[in-house]
Amino acid sequence: MFKKAICVAMLSAVGTVYAADVPINGTVQSRCIITTDTAGVYGNPNAYTLTTTPADGGQLAVVRFDVTLADAYYAEITAPSSFSSSPTLPDTVTWTGDTEVSAVSDATGMGSYETNKIELGMTDKYDLTATGSTWFKTSSTATMGGNKAFPGGNYTALVEALCVAQ
Amino acid sequence: MLKKLLLSVALVSWAGYCYSDSIATYPGVTPNVSAGGNTWNMNNVLPSGVPGLDINLIIYSYTPQKQTADDMTVHIQNENAAGNGYIFRESDDWSGLPGGTEIRKVVPVVPSNRSLWGNGSIEVEGTGTVTEPFVFYNYRVDPCYDPQFDPNCPGYVQPAPPEIETVDINSLYDPLADSAVTDALSSTETDRYKDEEIESDEEKKKKEEEEDKDREERLEKALAAANNALLFAGAVAQSQLLDSMNMAINMNSYYAASIDGGTYKESVTLVDTQLPENKTGLRNGFAQQLLHEKMVEMQYNKKK
Repeated sequence: MFKKAICVAMLSAVGTVYAADVPINGTVQSRCIITTDTAGVYGNPNAYTLTTTPADGGQLAVVRFDVTLADAYYAEITAPSSFSSSPTLPDTVTWTGDTEVSAVSDATGMGSYETNKIELGMTDKYDLTATGSTWFKTSSTATMGGNKAFPGGNYTALVEALCVAQ
Repeated sequence: MLKKLLLSVALVSWAGYCYSDSIATYPGVTPNVSAGGNTWNMNNVLPSGVPGLDINLIIYSYTPQKQTADDMTVHIQNENAAGNGYIFRESDDWSGLPGGTEIRKVVPVVPSNRSLWGNGSIEVEGTGTVTEPFVFYNYRVDPCYDPQFDPNCPGYVQPAPPEIETVDINSLYDPLADSAVTDALSSTETDRYKDEEIESDEEKKKKEEEEDKDREERLEKALAAANNALLFAGAVAQSQLLDSMNMAINMNSYYAASIDGGTYKESVTLVDTQLPENKTGLRNGFAQQLLHEKMVEMQYNKKK
């Protein structure tokens, strides 16, 4: 009787199911890095205009895209259409802006970026077909409606740069 | 004990710092070598007198100016100083691409010694030009390229002390063995002639007597001169003593003199009166005036 009892106990132990979750970790390094090369500056050629045009005392904003994988990303750069911070404005502001390729690190692979870009309003879309660095410069102009003067104070507008996977 | 340990650690650290500081490789970068044109001499752009310099990176940028349809290739290059061809040549093919877009490149190269790097240039092949070129060479310097640069360099060999040449004394020139010198030192004919002269005893005695006389005379003159000098000095001293005594007597009379005080009243009195005209002077002056006028008139009344 005692021997039987032991056998039953052993069989029970063999039939029990144990489970374990084994993690698999991974890190994906971005192959597209966006770096601000030069912050833009608004010049104030007249009371109702703010512009980044160098001739008017402004400075273009320059952003750099470093890509280590070709034909994998789009660069989407949008010129500002509003101030992120400003004094209270007396009227509506009209915005214009544009983005151009400023410099490239590969003539053959990147030389046609500017001609092949797609413009969607204030957004310019570039197909990053080559590895390397590309510098994009963005201009922006804000004009106060009704020729009213911009109130004194600090103004900040943001250029949006995106690296979108294809 | 702790102080000693800290001191020893500090000394070891300091020594290690000095070691690493003196012979460690260090980086450097040239200025824009294309500032003076599209060709450059590497000896003019790299630091001079540094043999252990290896170029390991080239950074350049420029803006091509061209029409899109034109073919254009830009070469940034350095001739191979140790042979034919180029030791470095980076080409950018802008054919069929629009101009006006700046290119910025960082090109790493296998570090190689400066002696291999010949003249550099920016060469444009095709139609177009290059504006705003910037070319920089990044390099590293190994001070121990020549191990003898520093005793801490690996492979440094302690220089052997300079050998001192052993000289065979017998091979040196001995002037006394030179026949010309010995001939010059030997007696001349005149000396021999004098040596051969034989003086008689009487002549010798005469000469000795004359010499004795002369010696006595010279001694007398010397003694007389000394005596005269002593006498003169005594006379001068006596005269000075008398002068000083007389001076004392004369001066004492001045010291003893007294001057009476008092008031010296005005003794002359001038009485106011009228001074008469000096008629003689007036007359004389008048005569002079007449004479003067006469002389003046004479020049106008010249007789022809």
